Amino acid sequence: MSKKLLNLLLVVVMLAVLVPTALAAPPAQEEGQDYIVVADDWLSKLADKYLGNPYAYPAITHYTNQKHAEDDSYAKITDSNLIEVGWKIYIPSAAEAKAYLEAPTVKTVATGEDTIKIGGVGPLSAPGSVVGGIAMKFAMELAVKDINEAGGVLGKPVELIFADTEGLPERGAAIAERLITENKVVAITGEYHSAVGLAELEVCHEYGIPCLFSETWSDKITESGYPEVFRIAPASSMTSRAVVDWLAKVGVKRVQLIAETTDFGIGMAETQKKLLEGMGVEVLDTIFIEMGTEDFTAILTRIQAIDPPPDVVSAEAVTGETSYNLEQQMAELGIAPTEKTIGIANQVAVQPEFWESVPNGNYFVFTHVGLPPTLFNETTNKVADAYRAEFDTEPPSYALEAYDSLWILADAIERAGTTEPKALINALEDTDIVLAQGRYWFKYTSKNPLPTDGSVPAYMWHQWPDPAVLVLQYFEPNQPGMEAAVVWPEVYQTHGTPYIVPGTKP
Amino acid sequence: MGGIHPVVVIWLVLAGPVWAAIGAWGLPRVYRRKGLDDSQARLVGGLGGLTLGPLLVAPLWYFTPELERWYWGGGPGILAALELYTLFAALDPDNLCVTNASYVANQVSNGLIIGFIYALMAVGLTLIYSVQGVISFCHGQFYMLGGYVSYYLLQLVWDVNPIVGVPVAGLVTMLLGFVFERLFLRPMHLGRIERAGEYAILITFGFGFFLQYTVLAAVGPFSQKADPYLGLGSFRLGPLNLIPNRLVAAAIGIVLIGALLYILNHTWLGRALRAVSMDKQAAAVVGVNPLTMNTLAFGIGTMLAGMSGAALIPVFTWVPWVGAPAATRSYVIIVLGGMGSVPGALLGGLIIGLVEALGAGCYPDPSKGAAYKTAFGLVIFAMMLLLRPTGLFGREL
Repeated sequence: MSKKLLNLLLVVVMLAVLVPTALAAPPAQEEGQDYIVVADDWLSKLADKYLGNPYAYPAITHYTNQKHAEDDSYAKITDSNLIEVGWKIYIPSAAEAKAYLEAPTVKTVATGEDTIKIGGVGPLSAPGSVVGGIAMKFAMELAVKDINEAGGVLGKPVELIFADTEGLPERGAAIAERLITENKVVAITGEYHSAVGLAELEVCHEYGIPCLFSETWSDKITESGYPEVFRIAPASSMTSRAVVDWLAKVGVKRVQLIAETTDFGIGMAETQKKLLEGMGVEVLDTIFIEMGTEDFTAILTRIQAIDPPPDVVSAEAVTGETSYNLEQQMAELGIAPTEKTIGIANQVAVQPEFWESVPNGNYFVFTHVGLPPTLFNETTNKVADAYRAEFDTEPPSYALEAYDSLWILADAIERAGTTEPKALINALEDTDIVLAQGRYWFKYTSKNPLPTDGSVPAYMWHQWPDPAVLVLQYFEPNQPGMEAAVVWPEVYQTHGTPYIVPGTKP
Repeated sequence: MGGIHPVVVIWLVLAGPVWAAIGAWGLPRVYRRKGLDDSQARLVGGLGGLTLGPLLVAPLWYFTPELERWYWGGGPGILAALELYTLFAALDPDNLCVTNASYVANQVSNGLIIGFIYALMAVGLTLIYSVQGVISFCHGQFYMLGGYVSYYLLQLVWDVNPIVGVPVAGLVTMLLGFVFERLFLRPMHLGRIERAGEYAILITFGFGFFLQYTVLAAVGPFSQKADPYLGLGSFRLGPLNLIPNRLVAAAIGIVLIGALLYILNHTWLGRALRAVSMDKQAAAVVGVNPLTMNTLAFGIGTMLAGMSGAALIPVFTWVPWVGAPAATRSYVIIVLGGMGSVPGALLGGLIIGLVEALGAGCYPDPSKGAAYKTAFGLVIFAMMLLLRPTGLFGREL
């Protein structure tokens, strides 16, 4: 076993050492030449041999096809991965290849294409939140269908290229790069995980392509201040604010936070701690847990030993099925929600599978981003119906946001009259459109810059200022998420009370 | 903390890591020079140095008695645990693990219960390794599949306790294990595959992916969970706060591991399996077909994985990728217990469960204790590899 592992390691190390040296040996040819394909040739190998760069193979494809149009003794390459022995191809000179490869990408994006391509990003496999990615992909595809049925954009149909980021930042960066350089998308939208979004926005910034984030909460996303970055989900601080205001209203004194060790969890826990302490509420500890942990009894027994028990135990900053395991064990061990202690669950508690995973979950409080059903408009209802038909559950905010993000981009392209990135960013800044989640607009843009005195937080840059953040509470077992009592903000309260004490009915 | 606590000074002078290093490094050499069996010398030297320092290392060095594993390893092992605890208590006297006995009792009982659950996942893996000589990288996915088989069975048949799902899930995963072994692993045992070791890793890994994504496509990404075995909530037993649902899962673990141990030790089948695991050719000579035993061992292994999945779906929330972390923990457990040893997997599971519970519960900084949970188990794992690379019950190399 260990010998094999050692061999494997050796291979990896050798690859890591040898590949760069192989790349650093460029015997680029002066003049273009015809070439007959022999066995064991492939385009990037030829590109490496004659042009000094394996990544220059698209140039061979391009010039060969150009020659084919004039003289059909040249082969036509339809797939760069597939060439046959005996084909006559044209290998351009280094100068020609360079000219082709460095031609502005914008040109290839803007004209001559029959569709307008938009890149969608989100997690479709673990360790990413697969539920989130699948919901977003569905909603985006729905939006594309609706946009194309309404006549497309600039007279062309919209095409969505959705790529799986697996919840891994490095995957996200690679995929964003691929979408921009290879698929030639005019904009990127979507993303569920903040850490991945933070990697992707650097790529967007590098290429100057607009990135409209639909579900990444970390403040750092819009704090980047990049002209390319827009967001229609709330910033983490905006949701924290809602919960903290609510806790202040209820009048709690001592709070125990539990958070996952991700950009999202750590960010949310830090913001809540700062806001709570600013209001004179004591934060006992922030316990950090790894995503994917199943058994929390050790740490919960520790919380149980705190005397007197805390007024609030919050699992809000833990996501996905990990949050379900944590919440069920919290309730099972009698820690929260109890008469003495408020239990706060993650926002996924709105989903119907919450009750299967957390059968003891009555009286949990959770936040919900999006309008209460009483304020749904026609678009919201349409998307919600389609979502229920497909998944048999209520549409989460990230599905509605993903739907809206495609329409926002389509609207901006239409108004810009082009897909040229600068014009598109300019048009996005002027967005004013009512969609499934309400009226979208961006308050702080290049036309209305953030005040320099720090009176407005930096995350408000290119940030939709009005996402509705509700605080809900269950009061009956197996209650549908949208029927839970709205306890905050006061204007939306459904049962006239900011808190339902466990064991009572509103 | 002002200055160094006197207890630490005394311990460092009299015993401690330096003497542990001397014992672990020097004693095997002394034994080897005298032509004696040195297989236990590193473990006993290391632990003895850590606990009693020169008091134990010096006489061993001089007299070199024959070291019987349990007597010489267990004694200093328990002593080391007690000493480290005393040291911990002296350094952090306000810690809950020092001041609150019922808290410690709760953590220990939780650790043991989860330990039995961990062990159940690991025994199947260790059985497959002992007979086949390959590590199954799709074990976690069979575990996941077992949970889903049980879940959907319970969805079909109403008002049945989830315990009914356990044998059914075992049957389904066993049959799938048979088919997989017969189609993909047998060619390897027949010598039709070059580089059999790499082949086994790749084919089991690939099959694991296949299972995981097929299930994901079939059941979707939404989390699911079966009804609890017994009521909800927790109950108190003296100082202990116990969750009945978990107790049932742990009990299923104990019963299944007990049954497996009985079969391995007291039936013809078990003897045949053990014979093949010791020497394939010799087993064939006395009329045991190693190929059949390979298939059987793989099937029983996947059956145990499936049954543990079915036993746990009422306890933990289930998603198609739930198998990967469970499998990783199982690899740690079987290496700790000794690859191929069923009692080793049981003991390894209990140790990992206890160490994780006490580590997360006693680590001085509560904000980090939970995040380091897995790391506490890995520390024990690393120490075991240093002192006794074959694991607790491992066969000598």
